[in-house]
Amino acid sequence: MKLYTTLQALCATPSVSGREEAIREVLRERIVPFADEVRVDPLGNLIATKKGSSAGKSVLLCAHMDEIGFLVTFVEENGWLRVAPVGGISFAASAFSSVVSENGVRGSLVPEEKVKPADYTADRFYIDIGAKNCKEAQKQVSIGTFFVAEGGVRRLKGKRVMGRPLDDRIGCAVLLAVAEQLAEVLLEGDVYYVFSVQEEVGCRGALPAAFGLAPEYALCFDVTATGDVPGTAPMACSLGGGAAIKIKDRSVICCEEVVKRLCSLAEENKIPCQREILTYGGTDTSSMQLAGGGCRAGALSIPCRYIHTSVEQCDLADAEACVTLAVAFVKDAV
Amino acid sequence: MEENKTKQQELKEQILSLCGIMSVSGFEPRATEAIREKLGAAFDELTVDAVGNHLLVKRCGRAKAPLVLVDAHFDEIGMLVTELCEDGFVRVASVGGLSATVLQAADVILYGKEPVRGVVTSTPPHLKKNDEESLPEAEELLVDTGYSKERLAELVSVGTPVGFSPCYSELLGGCLAGKSFDNKACAAIAAYAIAHTPKERLAADVAFLLSSYEETSAKGGVSAATYRLQPDYAMVIDVNLATVPDVPKRETVPLGAGVSLSVSAATDRRLTAMTRALCEDRAIPHTMIAAPSSTGTNATSVNLVRGGIPVVDVGLPLRSMHTYNEVISLKDAQALCELVEAFIGSQRLADTFGYTEKEELPI
Amino acid sequence: MKTAIDSVSLIREMCGLFGPSGCEGEVADRIEQRIRPFCDSVVRDRMGNVLALIRTGSNRTDDRCRIMLSAHMDEVGVMLTELCEDGLFRFDTVGGISPAVLEGRKVTLGDEINRLSGVIASKAIHHKKKSERNKPTPIEQMVIDIGAESKEEAERYLSIGSFGTFDSECYLFGEEDGFIKAKALDDRMGCAALIEIMRSVFENRPTADLDLYFCFTVREEIGLSGAKVAAEKIAPDYAIVLETTAVADLPETPVGRRVASLGKGGVLSVMDRSTIYDHEFFMKARQIAETNGIPTQVKQYVSGGNDAGSIHKTGVGVRCLALSVPTRYLHSPSCVASLSDYRAVRELTEVLIRTCPLWCTDEMKKEKTV
Repeated sequence: MKLYTTLQALCATPSVSGREEAIREVLRERIVPFADEVRVDPLGNLIATKKGSSAGKSVLLCAHMDEIGFLVTFVEENGWLRVAPVGGISFAASAFSSVVSENGVRGSLVPEEKVKPADYTADRFYIDIGAKNCKEAQKQVSIGTFFVAEGGVRRLKGKRVMGRPLDDRIGCAVLLAVAEQLAEVLLEGDVYYVFSVQEEVGCRGALPAAFGLAPEYALCFDVTATGDVPGTAPMACSLGGGAAIKIKDRSVICCEEVVKRLCSLAEENKIPCQREILTYGGTDTSSMQLAGGGCRAGALSIPCRYIHTSVEQCDLADAEACVTLAVAFVKDAV
Repeated sequence: MEENKTKQQELKEQILSLCGIMSVSGFEPRATEAIREKLGAAFDELTVDAVGNHLLVKRCGRAKAPLVLVDAHFDEIGMLVTELCEDGFVRVASVGGLSATVLQAADVILYGKEPVRGVVTSTPPHLKKNDEESLPEAEELLVDTGYSKERLAELVSVGTPVGFSPCYSELLGGCLAGKSFDNKACAAIAAYAIAHTPKERLAADVAFLLSSYEETSAKGGVSAATYRLQPDYAMVIDVNLATVPDVPKRETVPLGAGVSLSVSAATDRRLTAMTRALCEDRAIPHTMIAAPSSTGTNATSVNLVRGGIPVVDVGLPLRSMHTYNEVISLKDAQALCELVEAFIGSQRLADTFGYTEKEELPI
Repeated sequence: MKTAIDSVSLIREMCGLFGPSGCEGEVADRIEQRIRPFCDSVVRDRMGNVLALIRTGSNRTDDRCRIMLSAHMDEVGVMLTELCEDGLFRFDTVGGISPAVLEGRKVTLGDEINRLSGVIASKAIHHKKKSERNKPTPIEQMVIDIGAESKEEAERYLSIGSFGTFDSECYLFGEEDGFIKAKALDDRMGCAALIEIMRSVFENRPTADLDLYFCFTVREEIGLSGAKVAAEKIAPDYAIVLETTAVADLPETPVGRRVASLGKGGVLSVMDRSTIYDHEFFMKARQIAETNGIPTQVKQYVSGGNDAGSIHKTGVGVRCLALSVPTRYLHSPSCVASLSDYRAVRELTEVLIRTCPLWCTDEMKKEKTV
């Protein structure tokens, strides 16, 4: 699988929650060959449909294409940009990092002098874009401009990769690979590939998408934390341990039927997998489960260390397992 | 008096027959057969949907009758196995609002391939350091099963639900103590009331919903079911916190003084007032409680589905909520039963809230 | 353009009405009465929302643009929770009110029909320990006094669940009487603006094919509830939410945290705690404001939320714009706003309606195949 090259392309395109135009264009080009119809809904979700041959059960596969970032809320006299977090930003993890705006302006995100890490809040941070004063800064940015920590991905040992935003471009990469593998497969029901917006600010995009599509099954592809690093809470999920079949996170308890089906398909097809219970954090799964009249919802997670930092790590073998398992699931369910 | 005793006895049996069914949030579909066996005969239909809601329908037999929703969530708090450790210990995480303070040394059952009994571990005072008062996080508790790891792995896995062992006793004054009265006691009482109302006496078709995910999701499974059902009006029944020392009276309801009715900006005021009038007409004991911005129950969700569903929030007083010895009063149970009967039989409610041709949108 | 005098008396009238979340009947009745002459039809839905429609253009049914314009009718208030032996009531807030603005204030209590006055009482400064004097008194330590001599007397007038709102004078002040002070400016200013816009649009209809749904919603302050239900039924292509936004343009606030300033025009939001607004819609609104010489400012802080938070997620999603009157001391008995900002919000909204074909281009259509 050429997951790594896809991932490289996806991570190189900044797209913060609410400003997903750039990444949507990249994804659109890649999904078009594998779908019968591709459209964008009012909130900006990219929805690709592979039409079924008859009235079979429909499946929605979803990965979010937005990433966490920063919104410029004020430009000070001397050119500093004050920012608000977009999504679950840890300022401790973001201090002293290189950031880039939606229109390509680069800068340093730094705390005010002498602020201790324990006191890091948005109000004590600013972005220095090298402007001499407010006027000069405003030639490049304005209130309402979005920034993200600079993206990019690198290979480590074996199939391990590091960078950002693996959350959730790796899920998008998995979704593209699934679509490719299913492209020539004859299925009775419709398959919807949804690249959702605004997951990081509260799973907002997937809700109307799932409402409109009203699928029988929904499967969400997102990263999950692991319990295999020092000092972490106990969690039986590890990097390289295979596709993580979600049972529960803070926002959802998955449909038991979906969990069981995924587990037995993994066993039958000898796909490495592990069961995931995340005691914090949420995913689009919850939005999709209870949209409209509800659907049978589950999730396949890609284990990821150091989520929401610039050094997120994943194992591509886990992502490949997710692809194989998802393809098996769709063939079985539809 | 005798009649009351008999009714309370029957209600007690109904409550105990439902409360032992395992239905930890997310695992409600496992209860389908038990529900069919215990309640199915009295209803025209039983269905279970994609998110684990069980819907029991009883029709009044008239064409174009309004549809009244009676909702009692059927899921319960519990735990999930998160890790199989050495020597038959498993790690568990709580599902729903369970605190470590009530879990220490609790008797539990792991609902694996076959039920496995276990005890939540605790540290005796002898082994605690003087200043050690903190408890483990609710996500880091251990359960002792007494099995070897290998044998246990054949029975349970990560994701196996865990619940309190069913065990019930009677207290003075017609009180019951046991697990999962939240909210299966309400479900049992409502089921009894609907089953014992002859269909000629129903003022509407009754959709009796044993809803899912109340303990773990802000919207609740009820939102999806209500979306499909489109009822004309609704009663949401859930347990309500009964008086305990050190909690202000206004935040609790008295045990044994009847049902509670919530007055809230998030429910229908007219339906609430009319339900209160039903209580007064029939001398059903009740107390009013203010829940200003939200009832904290399914009522808030039901109210906001589609064009807005008029809803009243009704409570059964319960002490020691979310522990394995919740306490309710059979007197309150009887009051709730009578209120449900009155509610589904009220022609006035059906006439007031039943579907009319009135436009909901300007044209 | 209507004169400012009209606006002031309308805002004053709106703010004087009794309408805590969940008890908006009086506001709804008055609004319905005011707008009936200026719309094609109006209904009160089951939630209590007032929904009115003005259709413009030809009668072609396909390809009409559905626009939802909304303002909420409810205001923050209180609810009585317990009647004490001595005839005093315990209470809790409905919507977010800081305890600091409750102590010692006059309130109106009751429902749509019966009402009386009360005062929020607490321990006098003489009884307070030194450590208590500089802190707001917690709500649990306050009661409402209606002058009843006993529990029995109090019960004759009010009960658990009775509502209350601030009772506070509305007046103009400042240079050329440019500022207005009242309770419930949030969001009766939005309601007043919608009413004025309806009058103008109804009398001089745009030629484009528009279904304009003017929505006066309930229960915004306790969870954006009324708007959710309204939007789900209307399924609009676009929504414009007219609101107030809490600002802190005070000397002690660092310039970067003032949110917006009074007198600098209507506030357009990029993002708040409930919504990230549609980028194209936001950009077009700014541009149209500029072309028409209407002052606007961009919200300079991420705070608060409004009905857009529920509207944008209804159905298959709705593109939203929020346009707010910057307001000081929000959710207090003394909210302060500038009439010039009110006018800017009203004018820009009307211009947006009249220029709809300009911004409602194919790229902004409801759904598009790509």
